[in-house]
Amino acid sequence: MTATQTMMSETKPMIQPGGRHARRQHAKYRYRDGRIAYFLILPAVVLLGIFVIWPAIYAIYLSFHDWSFYKDPEFVGWRNFTNVLNDPLFWAAIGRGFVFVLMTVPVMLLLAFFFASLVVSVSRWAASTLKVSIYIPTIISSVITSIIFALIYNYSGGLLNAALAVFGIDPIAWIGDPAWALLAIAVPAVWLGLGLTSLIMVAAMIDIPTEYYEAAAMEGANWWQKTAFITLPQLKNVGLYLLITGFVAAIQQFELPLVMTGGGPLDSTTLPNLFIFNHFRNDINVGYSIAAALLLFVVLGTVSALVFKFVNSERLVD
Amino acid sequence: MHKRYSRLAVTAVATAAVGALLAGCGAGGDTGDNADGVTTIQFWHRTFTPVENEWYADIVKKFNESQDEIKVVDTEVPADAWDQKMKSAQAAGKAPDIYTHPGSIQDAVNAGQLHELNGIVSDDALGEIIDAALPVSAVGDTYYAYPLLLEPQTVLFWNKDMLSAAGLDPEVGPATWGELIDMCAEIQPTLSDGQYCISPASDAVTFAWSTVGQQYNFAGHTALTSDWTAPDINDSGYKSLMESYKQLWDNDYMPKQALAAYVEGKDFGEEKAAFKVSGSWMMSEIGSDYPDLLGKTGIGAFPNADDAEGDTATTLGNFKWVVDAKSKNAEAAGAFLEWAIAGDPENLVPFFVNTQFTKVPVRESVQEAVAADAAAADAPWSGIIVNDIAPTAIPEPTYPWDVSLAVGTAMESVMKGAASVDDAIKTAEDAINTVIQRDDLPSKAPKS
Repeated sequence: MTATQTMMSETKPMIQPGGRHARRQHAKYRYRDGRIAYFLILPAVVLLGIFVIWPAIYAIYLSFHDWSFYKDPEFVGWRNFTNVLNDPLFWAAIGRGFVFVLMTVPVMLLLAFFFASLVVSVSRWAASTLKVSIYIPTIISSVITSIIFALIYNYSGGLLNAALAVFGIDPIAWIGDPAWALLAIAVPAVWLGLGLTSLIMVAAMIDIPTEYYEAAAMEGANWWQKTAFITLPQLKNVGLYLLITGFVAAIQQFELPLVMTGGGPLDSTTLPNLFIFNHFRNDINVGYSIAAALLLFVVLGTVSALVFKFVNSERLVD
Repeated sequence: MHKRYSRLAVTAVATAAVGALLAGCGAGGDTGDNADGVTTIQFWHRTFTPVENEWYADIVKKFNESQDEIKVVDTEVPADAWDQKMKSAQAAGKAPDIYTHPGSIQDAVNAGQLHELNGIVSDDALGEIIDAALPVSAVGDTYYAYPLLLEPQTVLFWNKDMLSAAGLDPEVGPATWGELIDMCAEIQPTLSDGQYCISPASDAVTFAWSTVGQQYNFAGHTALTSDWTAPDINDSGYKSLMESYKQLWDNDYMPKQALAAYVEGKDFGEEKAAFKVSGSWMMSEIGSDYPDLLGKTGIGAFPNADDAEGDTATTLGNFKWVVDAKSKNAEAAGAFLEWAIAGDPENLVPFFVNTQFTKVPVRESVQEAVAADAAAADAPWSGIIVNDIAPTAIPEPTYPWDVSLAVGTAMESVMKGAASVDDAIKTAEDAINTVIQRDDLPSKAPKS
């Protein structure tokens, strides 16, 4: 909308001097371009309509009904929403999702920053090796990752407890103890997400003009000062982008707890999407899970909108 | 003109792309009548043990070869993907015509999911179902499911060598929880690192379904009052059950993290536990995956509470075959069902023999045919399961899963020290009361 308005406001003065004929000509070409544009976006719009917009509308419709797939949906008003909002397990899952974000996103950003700093300061060959190495986890399926880490966390015979045993430490129930389980899920989440985050960070770091660093060096700035006054400010927009994508990915994490713990022990790894999935899987009627999904959408949308607002204002400053 | 053709081409490509995608999305299993008059029906079953999977594949093949009017397409679905695959198929209106179904049928009947078997399966075949299997087969006089088997869900297995090493009688398991704790005290000093006295259920979900029989054993009732108007878990029986598991946990008699799933015998097979709690089906896994252990595996009823109120500590699990209410070929599905599991007993003998006689047939004629098999003499545990454990076992509860889960969560909380017994019971009562109100349970209570 904003882009269209901007275009119109820019083109309007140009057509004034040409009179009616010029306006007609311009309208003709504008119309022709518009038609091509509509043709080009038609497949995307149709697919979006079929797979996103219509299901979303239908989901909203169904959220006000009890539906078991076998009988006609029965209208229940706001009952599904009140059931979800009054369910302490739903709010616990949302809260756990935010805790999981705090456990994963800052660590991932920090590690990616250190990794990127390393990559830009070594030889080209070493940088390529490092980049390939860090990206490998990204192309591994999260289900495979879950299985690998479940084996590492195995109570009896797992790699981690075997390593601890060397130092005389008793085995720890990494995914069996509510105190450890969420952290145990967070580690593979960071491992999986680090590759892409790091590469984006590297790309952003390479884009910083070297003149800045040369000038700083001439002024006698050390590494910390260069980082604080050049690198970090220049990475701000990329950092914010990674923050919001990391936030959305982390709070929607689903496969790791599903495969590794099933949401246990004692719901300590039941993240919001797994909570909804468990209801979808176990409930005879689907109204509750749809209402919960829509409410999660509202929560995520609100937080994302706030962060996006932050990102936009930074771009304007640039 | 050229540009017009270009636009047309773009439109055509876009339309074709969308059409192809939609066609792909709509693709499902073939079902219905073919041009040659053959009716094709879809049959889904879960992945069970290898010998069970072989039986399923074989019975479908034999049926298809036995006649030329109905073609059954068999699909084996991994057990952990079953729920989501079935839900997706139901949502798309593409549920299979006939499929396996565990647990109670009440919720599915209420939801209109199951086709009545009366009319598509003969009355003689329906009349053969033994009384113990009726609660999972029929509601009133209407049959909705035909059970393939019954199986106790809580059975105690023990490693005779490990009991002998502790100076205990390897042929006799503990009869009560007190005896179990005493035996663990004897066994623990003889164990190596990574070995434990017992591997029982240890998480909320498993507690929820596998301890209903134990709840009945300790308290004399299950989690709801008989009229389903209130939770019924705040008594000495439930408290004692929770504290019993806490005793196993606090004394390190059980691992702090499950060594294997409750339903599988991997930890027992690898001799990491002297006792293993699982369903009777585990003996079948021991037979196929750890044959050397078969001869030194003891089996018995799960221990009773020291002052037991009920006469069993297990529920009777089951797997049934059901016909989907939306099936367009219900009669063909009924014909297949009747031929495969409600007809000639010899069709079923390989199933029960190859699963090591660990499951109970639901027809007397099949029970007799299985007992007459030559291999039965080499399976002494069969008598324990069929004669000692199954007859007193109670059916699985018909109340909603969330009620069982609330109790399971309370048990795990107490066992792991996350909550006191009173707090855990209070939390579970609140959760159960929510379910009672949400689902209007009093109106759905079984009529006595």
